[in-house]
Amino acid sequence: MGKPKALVDKGKCLACGGCISVCPQDAIVMCSSKAIVSKENCIDCGICIQTCPVGAIDNEEY
Amino acid sequence: MKYDVVVVGSGPAGSISARFAAESGASVLIIERRQEVGVPVLCGEGISKRVDEFNVLEGKRWIANNMDGARIVSPDGTMVKLAADIAGDETGYVLYRDIFDQELARGAIRSGAELMLNTYAVNILKENDKIKGVKAKQFGEEFDIEADIVVGADGVESNIGRWAGMKTTLKPYDLETCAQYTLTNVEFDRTYCDFYLGKKIAPGGYVWVFPKGKDIANVGIGILASLSEPGMSLKLLDKFINSHPDLRNGDPLRFLAGAVPVGEPIESVRDNLLLVGDAARQVDPITGGGLMASIEAGKTAGETIGKAIDEQRFDKEMLVSYEEKLKNTLYKKLKRNYAVKEILLGMEDKTLNMLADSLKDYKFDDLSTLSLVKALVSKHPSLLIKLKPFIKLSRL
Ligand SMILES: Cc1cc2nc3c(=O)[nH]c(=O)nc-3n(C[C@H](O)[C@H](O)[C@H](O)COP(=O)(O)OP(=O)(O)OC[C@H]3O[C@@H](n4cnc5c(N)ncnc54)[C@H](O)[C@@H]3O)c2cc1C
Ligand code: SF4
Ligand code: SF4
Repeated sequence: MGKPKALVDKGKCLACGGCISVCPQDAIVMCSSKAIVSKENCIDCGICIQTCPVGAIDNEEY
Repeated sequence: MKYDVVVVGSGPAGSISARFAAESGASVLIIERRQEVGVPVLCGEGISKRVDEFNVLEGKRWIANNMDGARIVSPDGTMVKLAADIAGDETGYVLYRDIFDQELARGAIRSGAELMLNTYAVNILKENDKIKGVKAKQFGEEFDIEADIVVGADGVESNIGRWAGMKTTLKPYDLETCAQYTLTNVEFDRTYCDFYLGKKIAPGGYVWVFPKGKDIANVGIGILASLSEPGMSLKLLDKFINSHPDLRNGDPLRFLAGAVPVGEPIESVRDNLLLVGDAARQVDPITGGGLMASIEAGKTAGETIGKAIDEQRFDKEMLVSYEEKLKNTLYKKLKRNYAVKEILLGMEDKTLNMLADSLKDYKFDDLSTLSLVKALVSKHPSLLIKLKPFIKLSRL
């Protein structure tokens, strides 16, 4: 099992862009109105998780 | 595909920049990733009536409601009323933001700009390190759009600037994370935009109630991201609504999540590139209102671009007059309000209550610092010390 990374629950994401604006790694992109985390770039700092107004982002072990 | 200018984003900042650039003769393409301009709405929909002075909107279809002013409600429920003309950039009209954005885009198109929907900017187009346009994607197909000037009007995400090497990433301290319901079947008919303050209500932010009509209102919350926990905005918003009998029985017509930059404006000009609106962090850091700032900055950006195209000069020295012009106008206000935001963030609920108690009967016709301070301090002398930073600021 690898390191934990941020993962967006597509069912909950409302495409506000907040997580993208604060990610220090430029690891999140918006695609078809859903935020998507690129596992390669994420350092699991947790900033996006804390920021999401609807709680759509969580840690996942890969 | 080659244009003088490619604008990324069809929000107010993008459409206004495009309009004024096109009016001065530039060939302009706006690209927008959404399939409909302005939809989904991500906004509290409050705006100052100063918007009329810009003459960029026809008719009245974009206006949902007319406001007499704002009411600030302190943590203990004390209310301070402000007339609309001094209540800030978010009070005057309540909008239909989707129609508003579409009218602004229509204005740009009527002035000669073209608009491409369903089109993502995916990177900056460069040649020997020089910005040459943007790489775009539409229905899975990638292509290049060449342009002498790229305008990043891509909102809070501000990717265009980031891809061009500018520092656009926000500190959580400079972002409000938001949620909002548009509630119908609410039991009131008000002509005031209400702002509720308090660390328990909305840490580092506020709850707003903007009436869109007789029994319909936008009820939203903004929390400073640095004070937030996952999903906190939504939880606190639900709590607020449930504790207000006039809102509790409302039914949501719309739900949205949002993010508002509340930092200071950032570097917004490079060779062949301008950032405008939320992308340049041109937002009032106290209220989180960015519509007026986007329009003001967009107009200046568009006019500067017009001149640049005329002279066929696209370097930073040419484009920087955009930033210089704003420095003496918009940026002065935004910077002052950022300092005020920092002071407000440091205030205890108790202080806010005292402030509101002192001001609840104050006639705001006389907005001189002296009369205001007198009114504040005569009732609660201990406020004098708490207000020292404000008084210092007012001398600047
Ligand atoms: C919940 C909430 C409530 C608010 N309430 C108010 C209010 O009451 N009053 C007020 O004045 N302000 C308010 N604001 C702030 C206001 O909405 C913004 O300041 C304003 O929208 C900024 O305009 P803009 O044109 O810069 O950006 P936006 O309106 O965000 O437009 C950016 C556009 O760019 C597009 N885009 C982004 N990336 C790309 C890409 N890569 N390719 C193509 N297109 C792209 C987006 O789809 C979008 O259409 C609120 C904001 C939020 C989130
Ligand atoms: S902050 Fe949350 S709702 Fe907003 S785009 Fe990111 S995952 Fe989606
Ligand atoms: S956890 Fe940190 S690095 Fe990973 S996506 Fe979220 S903000 Fe970016």
